[in-house]
Amino acid sequence: MLGPNGSGKTTTLGMLMGVVNPTAGSYSWFGEPPTHQVRKKIGAVLEHPIFYPYLSGQKNLELMAMIKQAPAENIPRVLQMVELTDRRHDKYKNYSLGMKQRLAIASALLNDPTILILDEPTNGLDPMGIAEIREIIKRIAKAGKTIILASHLLDEVQKVCTHFAVLKKGTLMHVGPVDEVGKGEEWVEVNAFHDDLGVHLQEFVGSAQVKREAQHFLVMMKDGFHSQDLNHFLFEKGIVATHLSTNKKSLEKQFLEILSESAPAVTKR
Amino acid sequence: MRMLHLLKIDLKKLTSYRTFWIICGLYFFTLIAGAASGMEFLKWLARTIEGFGQEININRIPLYHFPDIWQNLAWGGGFLKIGLAVMTVISITNEFTYRTVRQNIIDGMSREEFLISKVLTNFLLSLLSMVAVFLIAAVAGLIYSPQLEWPYSFQGIGFYPAYLLEVFAFLSFALMLGVFIQRSGLTIIILLNSYLIELIIKENINDYLPGIIPYFPLESIMNLVPLPFARYAFQEIRDYVTISSIAIALIWTFLFNYFSYLKLKHSDI
Repeated sequence: MLGPNGSGKTTTLGMLMGVVNPTAGSYSWFGEPPTHQVRKKIGAVLEHPIFYPYLSGQKNLELMAMIKQAPAENIPRVLQMVELTDRRHDKYKNYSLGMKQRLAIASALLNDPTILILDEPTNGLDPMGIAEIREIIKRIAKAGKTIILASHLLDEVQKVCTHFAVLKKGTLMHVGPVDEVGKGEEWVEVNAFHDDLGVHLQEFVGSAQVKREAQHFLVMMKDGFHSQDLNHFLFEKGIVATHLSTNKKSLEKQFLEILSESAPAVTKR
Repeated sequence: MRMLHLLKIDLKKLTSYRTFWIICGLYFFTLIAGAASGMEFLKWLARTIEGFGQEININRIPLYHFPDIWQNLAWGGGFLKIGLAVMTVISITNEFTYRTVRQNIIDGMSREEFLISKVLTNFLLSLLSMVAVFLIAAVAGLIYSPQLEWPYSFQGIGFYPAYLLEVFAFLSFALMLGVFIQRSGLTIIILLNSYLIELIIKENINDYLPGIIPYFPLESIMNLVPLPFARYAFQEIRDYVTISSIAIALIWTFLFNYFSYLKLKHSDI
């Protein structure tokens, strides 16, 4: 679930998890009307981790297991999964932000849920913390769980997710599979130690457009042409590429397009 | 079964919380020690302060004799309930400041269940207070009473259910203030001032509508166990529990908790 800050991602998830009262509309979980019993089957962390600061990680999880009616035997396993076993008896308030996020993921996994809701799980973490959380998410996804991820790290969403939706000011702007994002235009980054590289690239039959950027040239490919064709062409000209990389249209670009397309419709009074 | 589960959840939150043990420890220590040593304290006063024994002969006043002791200690114990109420306020406002109420609901508690878990703890603490004072009264009565007469010695035992309701009603009031105000400092200040506020209102309408005075919430809580000592000045006192005082206090107790429920149900958490 993508959207700029204040677009309603957390509010939407809050309504689905019963903490925000919807003013209109309805929703269902697993085809059932939503009750608090259904929520026990979902693991969710909204915004930032919330725990009792004066309780240890272990005690916090024990309490959550009671609320979710999950077996307490799951606690060592989820602690292991997020690598907090060694620090489980420390008070929550003494945890670092990364550890708090990891404990939150552990708590969401307590009841072995079929759906996991993570709301900006890497928010505010240092690069190492981000890498750790991303590893954990991938591991969980491999275990066959559905993950609903709210994020503005588009790169992350593109790597991890299969479907995406874009929200803006509480309105659904777009929904579709992530795969489709790359379809259509294909751009190739090229560089070589050659003064007239730009001229030669213009001559290539497969190039629809050539742009000069700081580090390299960007060639937009015509339909049916790919980077290997361009490489082949350069080699025939006696030019050896030092850099050659295919850029599919990124989610970031599409995201910004979706948001700007609709801008007039939303600002209209 | 379900109720016991909810009570256990709330106790799990409190039993690892040091503030809980300090406040409850002080409360029960004061309650038990105060009730048990009242007679000895009076004797000590008579020994140390010259003339104290002449004006009021404490050995003549049957403060700690059956059946007077039942009402005397129940009335005295009622003063300390403010200490327990502070604990109730801290317990509920913590949930709002740490936002753990939000996480509890995300994890699968209903708002109703959350409130019930708090109300049950209130009831347990009230029950413990009643049992403590009752046992002290029974033991001290046996020690100090010159003779034991059935059923005369047990007149006034009906004040114990009334005392239970007195404490529980007041804790329900404190819980409601906490649910509405959500900040501990402000809630405690308003709780402490509520008697004063009610007194001002009562004084102002006393001339026009004296008949409705007993229906005021805090007044109705105080009316459950009336002041007993006037009888030692040969005045008529009410030394029994009235149905109307119980009914009014019960209705208020229900309303306090119902208002808490409405507030929780209709607000975004």
